[in-house]
Parts: sequence; C-alpha cells; structure tokens
Amino acid sequence: MKELLAAPPYSNRNDDDLLRALVSLSAEQLSGCPEYRRVWPDWSGADKFDELPWLHVGVFKHLELRTHFDGVHYERTLKSSATSSGVSSLIVLDRDSSELQSMSSLAILRDFVGGEIRPLLVLDSAKSLRVRGHLSARVAAALSLKPLASEIHFLLEDPEDARSMQWDKLEALLDRFDDLLVYGFTWILWMAWSAEIPERIRSKLTGKRIQFVHSGGWKKLEDRKIERQEFDRTLLMDLSPDSRVVDYYGLVEQVGIIYPLCEYGYRHVPAWAHVIVRDPYTLQPLLNQPGQLQLLNALARGAPYHNVLTEDVGKIIEGPCPCNRSGPKFELIGRIPKAELRGCANV
Amino acid sequence: MSDSLHFYGKSSDVVAVSLPNQTGSVIDQWSELRSAMTQTVPDSFTRDEWAYLMSFLDTTHLNQPFKECFGETIPAGAGPVVRLFRPRGRIALWLPNNVSLLGPLTLILVSLTGQPLRIKAGSQSNNLTKDFLDFASSRLSDCALRRYLADSVICETFDRHHIGNTEMAGEAQVRIVFGSNEAAREIHSLPHPLESIGFSFVDRRSEVWIEEESLSDKLLTTLLKIFAIYGQAGCTSPRRVVLLGGDTSSALALRDRLVELWPTVLPGLPAMNVASENTMARQWAAALGWDARIAGSNAGVIAVGEPDLLVIDSGMFLGISAATPEQAERTLPDNIQTLGYASQEPNHIRWLELVARNRIKRLVGLDEMHHFGPLWDGSEFWRQLFEAVEISS
Repeated sequence: MKELLAAPPYSNRNDDDLLRALVSLSAEQLSGCPEYRRVWPDWSGADKFDELPWLHVGVFKHLELRTHFDGVHYERTLKSSATSSGVSSLIVLDRDSSELQSMSSLAILRDFVGGEIRPLLVLDSAKSLRVRGHLSARVAAALSLKPLASEIHFLLEDPEDARSMQWDKLEALLDRFDDLLVYGFTWILWMAWSAEIPERIRSKLTGKRIQFVHSGGWKKLEDRKIERQEFDRTLLMDLSPDSRVVDYYGLVEQVGIIYPLCEYGYRHVPAWAHVIVRDPYTLQPLLNQPGQLQLLNALARGAPYHNVLTEDVGKIIEGPCPCNRSGPKFELIGRIPKAELRGCANV
Repeated sequence: MSDSLHFYGKSSDVVAVSLPNQTGSVIDQWSELRSAMTQTVPDSFTRDEWAYLMSFLDTTHLNQPFKECFGETIPAGAGPVVRLFRPRGRIALWLPNNVSLLGPLTLILVSLTGQPLRIKAGSQSNNLTKDFLDFASSRLSDCALRRYLADSVICETFDRHHIGNTEMAGEAQVRIVFGSNEAAREIHSLPHPLESIGFSFVDRRSEVWIEEESLSDKLLTTLLKIFAIYGQAGCTSPRRVVLLGGDTSSALALRDRLVELWPTVLPGLPAMNVASENTMARQWAAALGWDARIAGSNAGVIAVGEPDLLVIDSGMFLGISAATPEQAERTLPDNIQTLGYASQEPNHIRWLELVARNRIKRLVGLDEMHHFGPLWDGSEFWRQLFEAVEISS
C-alpha cells in the first residue's frame, strides 16, 4: 500500500489490484470484527467493487467498532462534529492505518495546493487539541495539512466563536510571511474572513499568496444565501492572483481520503479508493443517476470503516475531466433531504 | 359562553356539571365540520391523520367523555345531587416538535369544557394544531364553536426558553405537557398558581403481545398499519411484538409474513432519509444479534431477536421476540404505555392481573392502540379539568 501511496493519486490506477486489496482487507475486517461479520454473515468474496461488504455510515454513531488483528495498536478515537443528527460518529484509529491515512491526505492535498512548505494558519483554537483520547473531525482535518506546514498557528481565541479571530496574531504573521496556507471549516472560515477585517490587516493581505483549504458542509452558508462564487471572491479579495480556495469533501468515517473540488466542479477518486452510487430504495448500484454515495478505500484496518455507504447524494460522471486527473470522478449533490417522522417526540 | 348546569347519573348517583350553555351545539358543530373535511386534506396532514380526526369528531364519540366521566344524561331533579363538577379554568397545553395529532385532539376535548386554552406548539416543525384551527375557523359559519376558537384559543409557536412558557404556567389552572421528561420537569417547575394541577405525558414505549393461535393475515395487516403510521416516533406505536407461545422459527415465520404483506398493505416509497435510516437500522440490528430484514422499498425493518435483546432506536424498526408470558413481562420497558394484545381469551383475568402487576397504562386491542381519549397515560385528565364539589343535603 505504501508503494501505491507514493505514486500520484490521479494516475496509474489499477482497479484489479485495488479490488484484490479490498477483498483481502474486507476478509481481514470480517474475521476481526464480530459485529461486522454479523452484518455480512454469508460474504465470501467479490468479483466487483459493488459486491464488497459495506457499512452504513450511521452504524458508527451507535457502535464503536474495532477490528482485531495481530499487531494492531489502537490510538485515538476520531469524533465527528454531529451537526446533523446530534450524535457523533466514533472512529477508532490504529497506528498502521493512521500512517497510511496521513500519506493519503498529503498526496491528495499536494496535488491541489502544491508541495511547498509554508506556515499553516488554522481557524480553530489550540484548546481543541486538548481533549485526551479523542480528536475532533475539525482538528483532524487541520492536522492533515501538517506535513505541508513549516509552523502551525491557531487563530481563534474560542473554538466555538468564529468572531474570536486574533487579528494581532494574523497581523504579525503577515508581517513575516508572503505565502500562507489557511485551513478552516467552511462556515467558520466564512464567518471569520467575511467579518469586518480591520483596515491594517486588509492592507497587509494585499498581494499575499494564500491557499485556503476548507471542508465541512455548506448548510449554514446556504441558510445565509452565500454561494460558492461569493465565498471564494470574498476570501481572495486583494490577494495575489495565484491564491486559491480549495473546498474538499471528506468524512470522519473515511479519514485520509479527501475529495477536493477540481476546477471543473468534480471530485476525483484517488488510486487507492473507489466510489459507488446506490439507489436508496433497492441499494442497486447506479451509473449516471444520482443516489447514495458509497466510499471505499484500502487504508483502514483498525475498524471496518474502509467501505461506507454515506448519507450524501452524488452522481458518478463518466469520461475524462478537463483538469486531466484520471480515474473515477463524481458530482456531490448534497445531503439526503430530511423529512421528520411525526409522533410524540419520543425519539 | 355562559354556563348552566347539566345533570348526569351513574347508578343511583346524580352529578351536576357546570358547562357552557352551548356544549351540545359545540359537539354538533364539530360533527358538522366533518363534511367540509371530506372535501380537502390540508397539506400538513397525512390522509390517515385526517381520517382519524374526522372519526374523532363523530357526535357519539364526542359525547363519550361525559358518559365515561359523569354518566348518562338525565333530567334535572331526577335525584339528589352528590357532586358538582366545575371547570377549573384556564388551560395551558405544551406540544413538542413533530408531534402528531395530540394537539388537535386535545384542543377538541378541551373545547367541550368551554375553558380558555393557550397552546404552545413546537418551534421546529409543522404546527398541526394551528393548521387545524385555521381550517376549522375558515369552514365554520358564525356559531358557538367558531366564537370559542376565535376568542378563547391561542396557539403560538416559540422555543423552550421563551418568556411565553412562564406566562402560560403562571396563568393556567391546568398545565398539560406532551414531550420529553426533561421538558415536563422544566415546565412544571415554572412558577404556577398554588392550586393549579399539571399533567405530564412524557416518554413512553408501547408493545404488541400476540398469542400464536391468534395470528392471521387480518391481524398482521392491522399490526403493520398501526406500526407504520408513526413508527417508533409514536408513544402508542409498538416497538416490539411479543409472540406468546412461539419459538424462534415461528417468530421468523411471522417476520417473513409481515415482510411479504408490507408492499400490499403499505404501498409507496418512503422518504429517502427514511430509506437510508432503515438501511442503517438493519445493519445496526444485525450487528447486535437481531435477525433483521428490510420490508417494502426500504420502508421498514422487521427483526427477530431474543426477548432481552434491546430494541434499537430507529424510526421504522420493529422487533419481534418469541417469549413465554413470564419472559415477556420481565422484559417490559419501565416506561411501558400501551400494550396492544391479541388473545383467544381477551377477557381472561390473567390480562388484568398482568396490568395490575406492572406499570402498563393502556391494555387495548391492536386497532385501538393510537386512540386518544379523556383517560390518558393513567390520568383521567379530562375529568380533572373540572374540580369536584361535595354536595349533601
């Protein structure tokens, strides 16, 4: 797997090798995780990606799954933000997988923001790091950029308050550096950067090269009627023309695999991952039609989160992409629309 | 509405009830509204909900609370009066988010007392009570009921921290709370008149117990309909079916028959998020040891498991356990509300003994599980909208 990760993510794809790796990984997971085996009691092999045993992403909100194998070393538990359901997913990270996952996200990000080492500014607070045993999705996402960072600075005073931006700290960094990497959850980045930026900061931003990387849903921005063009335009105002905004899609349950939006509006699948779209009613795989996205990767060993059916709607787009990245690609349409069951508010 | 005395009798006791003059007219006017209801279903209601509301408004049904609580109507002077029932006064009603028909149904029952009613609806969902009020007000001609709804009923939407909650608790003689345990605790701890009373209709669970000999497709059709209206979101909906006298293979056969019947009894596609949750629920249940199957087009999950296996919390998940009566009783949830039952001997004393030993609030046939009435969750709440005055000569 490490050899595969050393190659560029969007070339030299070999689906036969990947399928073999996923069949082997699935078998290992099924034998090491009794709960997973109970979900797929009869599975014995697959000739196609859509025959591999998957888990619905919501299962991880209810069960803390672990796959036992020789030499496994569990580390921290990754916790999702629980914005939609109020319940967090818990993903147990193991040392071997974490190493592969870091290599994966670095390879993908490098393809989009370049490999230069520069200071990383995180729209969060250092306080968020200080939760023993658990790692929030937000912090994990920021730390995936660590290999591209010469130094890391947290810019928020209060992790829950996007308006608690430490402008003095940013000003000092702008005095020292012309090239920066900035990461934030989408709505936090917007709240911080669309706020009244002090004039002294605004003038120091002029001409700087900043690569913004953001992730997390758009729902809060949709509620405020903020569209992508306005978002990008606001962030890039007065910066050097080679500054960029990279929006990526990723799940805690697929840590290490991220899907940045390419210049043509698509999400490309790296060589060590795969995507399937399923009909939510029949669970049959779909081509050229929207359905539930299923994400697979060959990196996760410590728990069966290598193959998850998401609650996101997407569509596989066939054919080459003008951005020249090869392999499968998809359009992310959004979350499955919610319709509440009525009752007596028992649940 | 001005009040007058109405007389009722149970055995030899005569009671007088102080009611608005127009109570009889109000009942007739509710009933008359049904013809307008046949012509349209407001968008916020499902057809099943609307049909149930219509049946609730039947004259005989609306007279039932008086009959159950006070007895048959009798003429004045038929005997010495032993009790006088007098409305306590202003009523406050709290409804949670995504609540079903409980709002409109409680409104209808309260309207029979003629007392002012202030309703707080959930702030994050359709407000069926308001929609029903609007419908009734727009369809009724100028009559006592319409004037009551306009002058004496307020239906508002605000959140749990709004000052309106304090106002409602402070002015009401009766507080009725549907919602979570926490919400009820908060509301009843707001300052309220010393002699006021409160009812908490909180988090409850319901079950169906079926004796194996009583199984039939007709019964299973009723079970599916009863379950699917609200799924686990309804306090009166079964979360578990206990097959009394059965074993694992008969429980699996029951599950498979329900899965087979589902598409004909409940045709149509669920919402996409419901289908997705069912996909999740089937896997979650299987991981815990349930033998689970998807029903319909991913519209529900029906699973077989041991009686002490926890029923998972998922909207359209229905568990089935084969059990002895002792096992079934031992694994009843602490907050059991309705026990729907199907037995060859429905009147056998063992059923009453079961209820007597446990905290079951309702023991009813399957087709009555969702029926709402003046006796709810162990409280004769409608009767207690009146205070009792002792009368002796």
